[in-house]
Formats: sequence, C-alpha cells, structure tokens
Amino acid sequence: MNKKVTLLAGVSLAILLSGYTSAAHAETFKWAGTTDPQTMDPHATNSAPVLGFLNNVYEGLVRRNKEMKIEPALAESWEQLGADGWRFKLRSGVTFHDGSALTADDVLFSYERASSEESDVRSWFAPVKSVEVVDDLTIDFLTNAPNPLFPDSIANFMIMDRDWSANNAAERPSKEAENYATRNANGTGAFTITARDPGVKTTLKPFANWWDELESNITEAIFTPIGQSATGMAALLSGEIDFISPIPLQDVPRMKERDGFRVHEGVEARVLMFGFAHQADSLKFSDDVSGKNPFQDVRVRQAAYQAIDVDALVSKVMRGNAQPAAQLVSDAMRGYSAANASRLDYDPDASKQLLADAGYPDGFSFGLQCPNDRYINDESICKAAASMFAKVGLNAKLTSMPVRNYWPELREDKFDMYLLGWSPGTFDAEHPIRFLVATPNKEKKLGSWNFGDYSNARVDELLPAIQTELDDAKRQAMIDEVTKVMQDEVAYIPMYVQPLIWASKDNIELTQRTDNFFILRWVTVN
Amino acid sequence: MVKRWQKWARENELFYLFSNNRIAQLAALLAFLCVAGAALSPWIAPSNPYDIASIDIMDSLIPPVWSENSDTRFLIGTDDQGRDLLSAILYGTRLSLLVGLLSISFACVLGVSVGLMAGYLGGRFDAIVMRIADVQLSLPAILTALLIDGVARGILPREQHDSLMIVVLTVAIGLSLWVNFARTVRASTFVERNKEYVQSAEIMGMHPIRIMLVHILPNILGPILVILTVDLAVAVLLESTLSFLGVGVPPNQPSLGTLIRIGTEYMFSGEWWIVIFPSAMLIIMVISINVLGDFLRDAFNPRLR
Repeated sequence: MNKKVTLLAGVSLAILLSGYTSAAHAETFKWAGTTDPQTMDPHATNSAPVLGFLNNVYEGLVRRNKEMKIEPALAESWEQLGADGWRFKLRSGVTFHDGSALTADDVLFSYERASSEESDVRSWFAPVKSVEVVDDLTIDFLTNAPNPLFPDSIANFMIMDRDWSANNAAERPSKEAENYATRNANGTGAFTITARDPGVKTTLKPFANWWDELESNITEAIFTPIGQSATGMAALLSGEIDFISPIPLQDVPRMKERDGFRVHEGVEARVLMFGFAHQADSLKFSDDVSGKNPFQDVRVRQAAYQAIDVDALVSKVMRGNAQPAAQLVSDAMRGYSAANASRLDYDPDASKQLLADAGYPDGFSFGLQCPNDRYINDESICKAAASMFAKVGLNAKLTSMPVRNYWPELREDKFDMYLLGWSPGTFDAEHPIRFLVATPNKEKKLGSWNFGDYSNARVDELLPAIQTELDDAKRQAMIDEVTKVMQDEVAYIPMYVQPLIWASKDNIELTQRTDNFFILRWVTVN
Repeated sequence: MVKRWQKWARENELFYLFSNNRIAQLAALLAFLCVAGAALSPWIAPSNPYDIASIDIMDSLIPPVWSENSDTRFLIGTDDQGRDLLSAILYGTRLSLLVGLLSISFACVLGVSVGLMAGYLGGRFDAIVMRIADVQLSLPAILTALLIDGVARGILPREQHDSLMIVVLTVAIGLSLWVNFARTVRASTFVERNKEYVQSAEIMGMHPIRIMLVHILPNILGPILVILTVDLAVAVLLESTLSFLGVGVPPNQPSLGTLIRIGTEYMFSGEWWIVIFPSAMLIIMVISINVLGDFLRDAFNPRLR
C-alpha cells in the first residue's frame, strides 16, 4: 500500500514538474475566448471580438494605451486646423507586413474603404466632410463642424494598404460574403497572422520590422475559440491554454483559490440591454397578436422594463459581479448622465397594470432573440428574463444562437425583442447615441446598430450639436436631455454593466483594458 | 383461474427464466420505475418545469436537501434557472423516453418491412436495399442523426423548429437505427422462407404479403423483440447526445441531455448536483433497458442457455 502511494506521488510529481519546465521556456502563448472574430477585415464588422483581435495586427493613426488614453501610433502627431478639422503627421519608416511602406495615400484609401457603403464602421466618419492628402506623410481630415473628440473616435480605424487590397480584390469590405481580406490580413501592427482557420484556430507571430519596441516576449501566439465555458476552463486547468477570457462567473471563487492561476477582474464598459422592434408593423413571432406591434406602445415597453428584476439577475446569474445600469453607458464614461441615474423600479404589478391599460390584460407572446456565445451568461440572462416576463403575461419565445448567425438575423429584422451589449468605443456617451439611438440613416452614417429603428426627432436634432459642442456643461445638458428622452420612451431596457473576468496561468503578465480588448504586445510569459 | 395462471407460469419458459434471474428482475424494476416516473411526471412531479412563469431566478442553484443552504421545496436542488431538478428530471426522462419510443417504433416498422421483403423476395430488391443498409452501417448512427437533423433545420422555417423538433428527432434517430432491424429480419426470413409451412402456404396460393405478415413474422418475433429493447436504449442515448450537443429538443423543454449539458457548465464550480442527477438517471435507465435486452436475447437463444 505504502509503496503504491509513493509511486503515485512520484509519478504525479514527475508529471507536474515536466508541465512546469515545458511552460517555463516555451514562449508560445495560447489563448482562448468564447467568440471567434468572424472576419479579419477591420472595416467589415464593428464588434469587440473583431476589433480587439485585429488591434494586434492592424493599427490606427492613434491608439489607446493601458489607461485607455490616446497616444500616437501611425500618426506621430496631430493638430487641429482651426474649426475645419484635423491634420495628422504620419510616422516615417512604417511598413506593412508585406514590406510596402505606409503613405498618406494608404490612409486616404482606408478612409474611403471604411466609410464606403459596404463598411460596418462608416458611422465613425459621420462628422467627416472630406479627407485630403497634403504630402506623403501628412493628411487632413476635414469635418463638417468643429469636432473636438475626433482623434479619440478613430482609435479603432485601422489602416490598410491600398496596393495589397487592390491586388487581392478587397478594395471594399464584405459583410456577408467573403473576400480576400476576410481571411488574410496585412497590417502594420506588432503581430502578423501566419495561419487562419476560421472557428478553429488563428496563429500569429511578432512582426520583425514593427516600428515600435515590443514589450512582449512571445514568439508565437495561438488563438482558439472555445464556445463552451466549461471546456475552456478544463483547457486552462489542464495547461492546454495559458489564458482565457472570460471565465464563467461561477468558477471565479474556486479559481482564485487554486495555485498556479490568476483571475483578472475589472469592470467592462459594456452595458447589456434589451432592444425592441420599434418600427415593425406587426410582431413576427407571436401566436396571439397579428397585424399590430404592441411594442410601439410606450406603456408596453415600460411594462417589459418593470417586469425585469435586475437585482436578481445581477445577484444570481451574474453572481454579484455586475452593476445595474439605467442608461446606455456606465458611470465611468465621459458624458454619463448623473441626472438620470436611477432605474425604474422592479414592479410586476405595475407591469400588469400598464399592459392592461395598453389593451393587453392577458399579455401576448413575442419572439426574443439572444446570442449564446457573445456576452457573459447571455443565454442564462435571456432565460431568466423570459421567466420574469412570463410572470406578467409577456410570453417570450426565446431563440438563442451563436453571434455568427445572430447579427445577420438582427440585420434582417428577425426579432420582436433582442439582447444587445454595447461598449462605447470612444468611452463617451455620444457613441451609443450615434449607433443605437439615432434614426438609421445610411447617408449620414447614423444608427447603424439601431436594429429596432428607434427614432426620435429631438435626439436626431441634438446629436450633431453634441458632436460639435466644445463647452462641457452645454454638451452635458444636451446628453442629459437625450438620456431623459430615451428613458421616458423606454427606447431600450438597459440592465447592467458587465464585468471583465479573465483568467491565466500565474506566469503570464498582461494588461486588462476596460474595453475588453486583449492586447498581445503587453503579454509576457515568465 | 389461479390454477390456470400457475400452469401458465410453470409452462412459460420466458417467465420461468425471468423468475430465476435476479439481475433481470432488478433491471425490470428499475426500468419500470423510470418509465412510470416519466409517464406520471405531470402528476407526481413537485412542479412543472415547462411553466416558466412559476420559476424564480432567486431559487437558482439551491443544493439538495441534505446539504447546507438547501430548501425543502427542492428535494435534489435546483438548476441555474431555479427549476426544481427532480421535476426537470422527471419531465426530461419523459421527453427522452417519448422520443426514444417513437423513433424506435419508426425504425422497427421501417426495418421489419424492408427486411421481410428483402428476405422473402430476394433478388434485385434484396441486393439494392441491403447495400444501402451496408453503406449506412458504415456511418456511425450519431452522424446519420446529426446529418438528418441538420438538413431538417436548414429546410424548415425557424418559427416551426420548436413544434417540429420532436418529429425531426424521431425521424433522424429512427432512420439511423432501422438497419439493425432490416438485417436481422432479412436473415431470419431467409431461414423461414424455405421451411415447409411457408412452401405449403405458397402452394395454396396465398398472397405474399399475407405469408410475410401472418406466417413468417410471428416466427421471427424473438430477435425483433431483442433488438427493440437494446436499440431503445441506443435511441434514448442518441436523443440525449443530440440534446447535449444542443441540436436536440428545444432548450425550454429540457430532456436529460439538455440538463446534462447545462450541468457541465457548473462542474468546476461545485454545483455538482446539476450534472450528477440527470446523468445518473440516464445511466440507470439505459443500463436497465440494456440488461433486459440481454436477458431477452439469452432467453430466445437456446444455445446460450
């Protein structure tokens, strides 16, 4: 018996040791996330998994540092041209991964590409009137009106090479179909993509001719999407991967106690909310209501709002790791409306009364769409919300699906109500107003993620004023007004601010940025 | 009356073997309990897990009654949505068994008719049908089921998915299991076809269909019964596997596989009961059905006694 125990101990020690030694000198860094970036095209999808991933490969004129402040990247410096716009001086000697040099013409091309009809990020350029190349390393972005926040708003505007795109017939981004840039990338960033197998794995290695000094000691990085969180945890615990984001909230306490691993916690800028089909003439998935859309009635929207017990969602589904939210941005964002900080109370009786007033005393059924691999516990939140809705007579027929299918479904208006999380890329309250609240308008590049086509004339009137106002107090007053309108009309049901929970082996040094972007060049394997 | 029953019991071989086989008796008891629990779930379950209005998220993840922080309303705890796990398991077993029984009946009817015809008619029909069966046999049943399930999902409009999912599952599992029936029935029919009673029936001018159904079928029921039992367990497992993979029954109507899938997400965090109890239920049910099948096989095969 004793011998057996010693033998067992010896074997497990040997296994342990071999695991540690191999981890010590390997600089291959393996990481996993729940969502695979759908595309390698930086202008085709405005979503955090894509932009976050591509931030390692492509670069913008400016970039955000560890504290989320703007710092020079491809542009060495920039200055305001009075009220007309901004002039950017490009860094000299920057090359793309294929060896060609960066010029102002590439920036112009990237602007044309990113602001084209096919682009998903065109609303970033709503304030831009025109872009003019001054010389090889100088470029002007001329705006319709003074735009103090413009450099802040284009940190994720990534620069592509004109020749590379032209040679590979990828001069325009492609949202639905694929083109060359969907699977291949040619940026100026710290890492190059060496292999890409969509949905399976993506391999990167450092770019030898990068203009900046690399903080990281990684020689190879491999990203694997793992949809099942338990599988991801098992992979981390068994040493198959070095880092995972996010980990299931229920595993946080145990993970903290375990030796050899580290949990990285923070608050993300992302607010989770339910959106409505505001403009649809009828419900698409209802059994009992046809020919009309109850969600056009503000009382029905408020009934849905008050049926949700956000505190219960936060304490149970999110295990206390989230903050309830009353508006589309968290209180850490610039422009947060302190005057409108309180949520409507959870009150099922009031909900029932509102439904009865609106002519639906017995409630009605509708379709609720939900992603199941995008946000933390997204499907559980939807299931819990569905049962809360059911208590007031709102019979939500829940359909959950991976994001890969989710965004196309929403774009085709196949929903009555849907779940959305929004993290303002500019860290400013103006961002969600532009994307989620402004009336969708292709010409003006507004409301591109306003799937339910919410529309309010006063908001549309105030938005340009907010974008150009230089005086902080006046600007805040306008944001407050918009926030009030949104709350009064229940344009969305904001629920809570999502936490950031990452986990890694304890030999990994990394920086957790509040936009949930995982930046490889700050990762060190010890 | 009693005497007649005693006489029957004494003379009935199957009953005699059963009364002497403790393991088969235990398996039968367990299988009976599973089936009865499932069939009576609307009446015996403490709550209705399909009624989402009755679920409260504040009741979620409560451990079984013998642990700390438990709640006497929930005998073996609750899942992540606050559903009573016992009720969910009973309803889930019902759904799993229902899909299993439906699909195995489908497979049985299809397989037996094809097998009878192939064995009796022989010739080209036999060659073609049995080659198809061979091809299908080279594919794992789960793959066939996934394929049919996937195609059906692609074709059907999404609004009808939930209502038609049971039918799709039945067809998918049924089509992946019919081969066993067809091959066995064909082989047995081959043997029976050349016996005198079939030949005399042929000489009397009976219709082939009548010969197959009235004369041959009753004589090959033994093997069919064995496959029926063993494959029922396989069908239940297939359904659970599909649901575990997320392509089975709709998520708001949990079958055992769905419950196990939810449970695996809590494996590392200490909420063991969500995965253990549904798994245990599935294992007990499948093993007991399998043991019964084995018993039947031995009972019908004189050489194995």
